[in-house]
Amino acid sequence: MAHYKIFGQDPYWMNFFGLMILTLIEVAAVGLDLTEFAQSYDTTEKVVTLWILTIIAIPKFIMIAAIFMHLYGDEDSGILTLTALFPAFFIIIMVLFVGLTHPDAASGLPDWCRPGNYGL
Amino acid sequence: MSGDYDHDHHAPKPWGPHDWGHGAPHNSFSPLFMSMGIAIFLFGMAQAWSYGTYNPGNIPMILVGLLVVGFSLFIWWRQDISFDGHYEPLATGVPFRGIQIRKVGVWVFLMSEMMVFTSLFSTYMRYRLGIENCGTVFDRGMFDPVTNPTGWQEGVTVTCFEPASHLIASSWWHIAPGAINTFALIISSFTIVQALRYAKMPDLDDEARRKKVYRYLGTTWFLAVLFLTLKMVEWFIGFYVPEISAIGLHEHDIISLVDEGYTINADHYQHHSYVDEATGAHMVADIQVSASLFYVTTGTHGAHVAGGIIGLSYMTYKAWLGGYTPKNAVSIEYFGLYWHFVDLIWVLVFPFFYLY
Repeated sequence: MAHYKIFGQDPYWMNFFGLMILTLIEVAAVGLDLTEFAQSYDTTEKVVTLWILTIIAIPKFIMIAAIFMHLYGDEDSGILTLTALFPAFFIIIMVLFVGLTHPDAASGLPDWCRPGNYGL
Repeated sequence: MSGDYDHDHHAPKPWGPHDWGHGAPHNSFSPLFMSMGIAIFLFGMAQAWSYGTYNPGNIPMILVGLLVVGFSLFIWWRQDISFDGHYEPLATGVPFRGIQIRKVGVWVFLMSEMMVFTSLFSTYMRYRLGIENCGTVFDRGMFDPVTNPTGWQEGVTVTCFEPASHLIASSWWHIAPGAINTFALIISSFTIVQALRYAKMPDLDDEARRKKVYRYLGTTWFLAVLFLTLKMVEWFIGFYVPEISAIGLHEHDIISLVDEGYTINADHYQHHSYVDEATGAHMVADIQVSASLFYVTTGTHGAHVAGGIIGLSYMTYKAWLGGYTPKNAVSIEYFGLYWHFVDLIWVLVFPFFYLY
């Protein structure tokens, strides 16, 4: 259990309120018309929405893991955080090299990183 | 207890029941048999529905897999039935020395779960970034041989994709079940932490603890059931919005995703005309609705919620009987880790599969 306070208050209640507020902002970001805001940055509303959602998802993720899952503030938090981060390498591989590749990557990549070079 | 391992010459029975007075058993066959059972079950499932064709000849293999899993669970249960929850084995090796073995086990399990969901997320990213959807095609503007050679042409039908999230994000009513579910999971994460807090509270009398713990666990159970119910409404049932003229609400039906044509193998097309307000031109599209990854990912998450409901049912009943004390409350903590993880995954699923 948590042995600390957040702004002098119970950490679980504070975390709960924080998560609720962030979720409200998330839903509002989708519902509000952000077209003009997006145009001022020379982009589309969808891109702005995606950035807002991504930015909000990060603190929500950390708040749940650190406070509700006790990865912060407990004696064993350090080693368990490292344990939880162990799949990070796999996640980076999957996201960067599978998720963010393009369908024509096999033929559209520069010669130096395609099969057939270096005698392979 | 864990310090006694080196001097313990007791030979635990691999088929149980186990004598916990001699420490935790290390020779159970159950995990091995259960893994084999799951492999047989999944192999049978993959063969039974191959490329959309149903092959009933593989049903016996599915049943054999389930039988092996059931047998393994029975043996596991038989070994653990003598466990009173008060003995908590501690890890003796680096780097987890002194930490509860079950806690480390839960974290290792959650790591493997993280990899499962990462695979689904990376597939989704690949799909969304690699294939243009109808909105993107329309936003490219009208064809012009000089200034816009990749644009769409009036009178030429475009074939394009629409992910399920586009329909869901198109109106507040379509978002509503997912949004309510988001709040339900966050509240349930909080209620299970509260259950753990009161179960561990040393200066609370037994009856007050019993009431607090079973009410918080019961609330978590209710929210989990609400989550799956709304999931069914969203996928299969839809709902009715009544006429409330005072707030400008008009009577209409919100149709379920399946009835909108978003099926897991969506192999049909919907016709739609996009109008360019600036020029008045029409882009005519044959939209191939696409939801296989949506159903697989949200379904995998939903299956985790369903598994949680089974665990919560048992725990709520145990709490109602007054089964939790500060000495054995760690069971709630370990289940809580799993439940928070389910919430954690939803934090990512909701914005990217529902809103974007």
